Amino acid sequence: MSCKRLILEYLVDYEDGSMPETERAAFERHLGHCPPCVVFLKSYRATGKTLRMLKPRDIPKNLADAVVGFVRARCAKKE
Amino acid sequence: MAAHEDQDASDLELVRRIKRGDEQGFREMVDRYNARVYSLAYGVLRNSEDAEEATQDAFLTLYRKIDTFDESKKFFSWFYRVALNAAYSRARRRKPGVTVSLDDYVPRLRDDVLAAVAELAAFGDGADDEAIARDLAERAEAFIDELPPTYRDAIWMVDVEEMKPADVAEVLEISLAALKSRLHRARLYVRQRLLEVSVATPGPSERRVAP
Repeated sequence: MSCKRLILEYLVDYEDGSMPETERAAFERHLGHCPPCVVFLKSYRATGKTLRMLKPRDIPKNLADAVVGFVRARCAKKE
Repeated sequence: MAAHEDQDASDLELVRRIKRGDEQGFREMVDRYNARVYSLAYGVLRNSEDAEEATQDAFLTLYRKIDTFDESKKFFSWFYRVALNAAYSRARRRKPGVTVSLDDYVPRLRDDVLAAVAELAAFGDGADDEAIARDLAERAEAFIDELPPTYRDAIWMVDVEEMKPADVAEVLEISLAALKSRLHRARLYVRQRLLEVSVATPGPSERRVAP
């Protein structure tokens, strides 16, 4: 397994746990003797961790009330 | 899995109440989904006012078109598609942003590029540092914005919203393999862009992102 194939073809399955056991073993053997790929994996995971911080935490207050009010007003206009 | 099925059954119950004209049922549906729809719309529009309006549009469509929902399908998949359409409809009214070709980035993954070990390690460690991670998160948001929409949806829903890939594939009406391919390429792009702005200094806590 080359570095390029490991990263482009196998990494996503390795990370989500869907990789078959035999391929997983080959993947981990590669990691065992390839420090650059270990570092690449680390940065890939760090990217995911960074992205999880983007989830909007400030949902507008009274959003549900605003939605219900909007829908009622728009539907009342049509009737 | 059971919780997922309970959610589907509970959604369906609400759908039937709304179809019967039960206003309280609609209110409960809004309470259940408004934050998730807002968050999804924010992923497309990156602006709270637009995301709020797209959320209202999505629920208006739900209210008006609920009779077209096929009850043999999962409600959340249908409604997330409605919400995405509402967000993209609003996005089209704005000036289009600049998107990139991911092909400009993926070929950089030649084996020789992997030699940039020190820089990569610095970034990997940096994301364990709260202040650095927050700096990087702000950058990452802009980088996601540069992605073509199909890639942006995949990475936003899976990595930001933390939805299951199989559910996202269903919402986007693509195969799981196609979803994972988009997701992976989007991650590689964001990772590469984050690397470009990360500056290595002696210790993670002292490192900051380039202006």
